[in-house]
Amino acid sequence: MQDNAPNPRVLLTKSFIDSHDRAIATIALALRDAAMEVVLIDYEQPEDVVTVALQEDVDIIGLSFMSGGQVETTQKIVAELKRRGVDDLPLVVGGVIRPFDVPPLEEAGVREIFRGGAPLADVVATFQRLAKAYRGYA
Amino acid sequence: MAVRGQVNGCRTLGVTGPPGAGKSSLINALVQEMLPHYPRTAILTVDPSSPISGGAVLGDRVRMAEHSANPNVFIRSLATRGHLGGVTRMTRSVMDLLAAGDMDLVIVETVGTGQSEVEVAELTNVKIVVNAPGLGDEMQAIKAGVLEIADILVVNKSDLPDAARTAAHLNAMLHHRGHDEHRSVVCVSTVTRDGLKALADAIEIKFAQLAADSTLAVPRTASARLLLARAVADRAEDMIARTVDPRIDVLVEDIAAGLLSRQDGARTAIGLLGELRPVSNARD
Repeated sequence: MQDNAPNPRVLLTKSFIDSHDRAIATIALALRDAAMEVVLIDYEQPEDVVTVALQEDVDIIGLSFMSGGQVETTQKIVAELKRRGVDDLPLVVGGVIRPFDVPPLEEAGVREIFRGGAPLADVVATFQRLAKAYRGYA
Repeated sequence: MAVRGQVNGCRTLGVTGPPGAGKSSLINALVQEMLPHYPRTAILTVDPSSPISGGAVLGDRVRMAEHSANPNVFIRSLATRGHLGGVTRMTRSVMDLLAAGDMDLVIVETVGTGQSEVEVAELTNVKIVVNAPGLGDEMQAIKAGVLEIADILVVNKSDLPDAARTAAHLNAMLHHRGHDEHRSVVCVSTVTRDGLKALADAIEIKFAQLAADSTLAVPRTASARLLLARAVADRAEDMIARTVDPRIDVLVEDIAAGLLSRQDGARTAIGLLGELRPVSNARD
């Protein structure tokens, strides 16, 4: 059944230092196959993520972490979202997320955390749901 | 929404060429070179939408990360959403908005798919066609299409061994065209930064040759007519594809059954267009 919502635009990003791009590429293809438009960048500064999200008018941001900085980077991005008045833009996190990362990430306002083994269908459905809710289509 | 073209003379540059020629990397390097003259620069990068799902992976920006921190460089990734010709159906409108937003320079990077991405020629003041070494011989160089619309021909990745030969092929092609041919071939490398200054200068000269008047960012009447025709075709396609109307359904069934030719069906459908109510919802 078709609904009225336009296909979501998604920003997927990881640090330019982190060369582990298999995960982010897998998610990008899954979202593409679910009819979403996926913008990819490797950010240099966490704040750049927000600049790009605004320029690209995305409905959701996905952060991939395969090495360090899970909590600190996410907090910086959340702070920048707040500073630029888009703190309702949904943010999800995936990759190597250790158990002790989870409480501070949730406290920062991350809407969903995908750890290793998360079913792809769930990931796609979550992006879909959050993006549509952000645009007021759900 | 109607946006009047900016009268200040926002320059527009089209960048096209085959996939993997290095268009995004070249733009990234070129912008560094041109920013001193064009402090407010916008880059529109176009990537294809999937013909199967309608989704898209927009990856050109990955090559332009160093400009993310500069608030005066605006980059927007566009998906073709089924539009052919190398750009999207809304590219012209986005360019008008950017010009109205006081941009000094708007760069449009087309999708990289070969020989017929020529629509960018109607949209931009100066067109550069980016070639990579080893992508063909003289035969490719004399074919009609994208090379013809170039104001400047670029051989990218000039640090690679085959670059000189590719440049020679292109120069030979220009030579065959005779004395009226004033275009040049510029070899550049984004790795060594060789030739970038020369390319920026060549673009500058082309800009200077354009009449420095108010018509720059405004579509001329001829191209306005063409753009109108294209917009009408796009809308008509949408309406036929998405409208639920019994009269269209009859036409479709007759064509499918071989009772009506597509051309006759099209004539009847055009007559009906004014009466159809579109159920449009997708993003333009």
